[in-house]
Amino acid sequence: MQPSDEELYRLMRKGNQDAFAQLYERREPALYRFALHMSGSSAVAEEVSHEVFVRLMGPSTRFDETKGSLESFLYGIARNLVRVVRRLGPVAEAVDRPFHHDILGELIGSETTAALHRMLRELPERYRDVVVLCDLEERSYEDVAKLIGRPVGTVRSRLHRARALLSAKLKRMNASPEVVTR
Amino acid sequence: MTCSEWSKELVECARRHGIHAEPDRELRAHLALCAQCSERWEAELQLTAQFRAMRVHPAALRSLDRFAGEKRRESLMLDFARRDRRPVVPSRFTQAWVWGLGAAAALIVAVFVGHQAGKRTVPAKVSPGARTHEVRTEQTIIYEASNDASALSSDDFIAVPYTPPLAPGEMVRVVHADFYPEALASMGVEVDPSWAGDLPADVVVGEDGLPRAVRITENNQF
Repeated sequence: MQPSDEELYRLMRKGNQDAFAQLYERREPALYRFALHMSGSSAVAEEVSHEVFVRLMGPSTRFDETKGSLESFLYGIARNLVRVVRRLGPVAEAVDRPFHHDILGELIGSETTAALHRMLRELPERYRDVVVLCDLEERSYEDVAKLIGRPVGTVRSRLHRARALLSAKLKRMNASPEVVTR
Repeated sequence: MTCSEWSKELVECARRHGIHAEPDRELRAHLALCAQCSERWEAELQLTAQFRAMRVHPAALRSLDRFAGEKRRESLMLDFARRDRRPVVPSRFTQAWVWGLGAAAALIVAVFVGHQAGKRTVPAKVSPGARTHEVRTEQTIIYEASNDASALSSDDFIAVPYTPPLAPGEMVRVVHADFYPEALASMGVEVDPSWAGDLPADVVVGEDGLPRAVRITENNQF
């Protein structure tokens, strides 16, 4: 049976490096994806997902099991870090640049996908959070509710609202692509 | 159901099934009748398909720079190992306990040392009614006094002042006793103030029970 995040955290605090490595392997990829979709920059995402673990092992970490899961604690740190980066200004290297140099680029870098990345970043944070977690990370409403500390009904209604906004933008883009994708 | 209620249904249906979504009979009937909902349905399907494509994006980006990711992981583990080698700082609670116990131990040692030092330097107070000596009666020896009691002084005995002289032929006892220095001093024996504890002495006692002379037999104070 796999140890829980919280068990690994307790071991990690006692200096167990294997537990820390296991926690990193388990949570870092999702944190990277979350930061990437939230910030729109792979460099920022790398930095954020790294910094989350630097903070986790730091002496001033204030994780309290009774207040929530370690996973939501990690997402909270990542969200705050992305917020700080976004406040500093636009990111230099955005993910919405299309890839045209290889097959993989063709697969992931269509104009529509790039435009959707941009639209996602323009969404208010409360909507962006739920789209990233529910539709890109494929988390259940219950999971997301725990992660962001909101009721399930709020998560569902925010997602519907966010999707309506994105659909409307995609529709406008399809009607006049130059205007929207620029 | 209103269009608003149907829109919730179609969002969930599109999310669940994506481009292969098959709306149920009622929803299909509504979509056939409502152009607005039908348009929304198409948009939701497109959005779901795009999100599926976007899910590949992070993994694809990472695959372009796998080496950097490995390096970051390695440096993080090194940081962790370095942090773990730092001396462990006990919690405030533990520190308080250590300080408290240390202080208590120091206090006990200080009291003990002070007590021992006091025993060596400060003569014990003797209350007026307290006993000034321990008489070891099993070591009592009886002599016949000579005519001149002052002759006792010649054998390291010191005559106790202000006592009546021994009568010729009076039987005296030499009693071995442990004296407090204050008692000896009161009998006119010169006593070093640094002496502590009991001093063994021979006491010449007359038939009337009064001491006539004293001799310190051994002095361990030197």
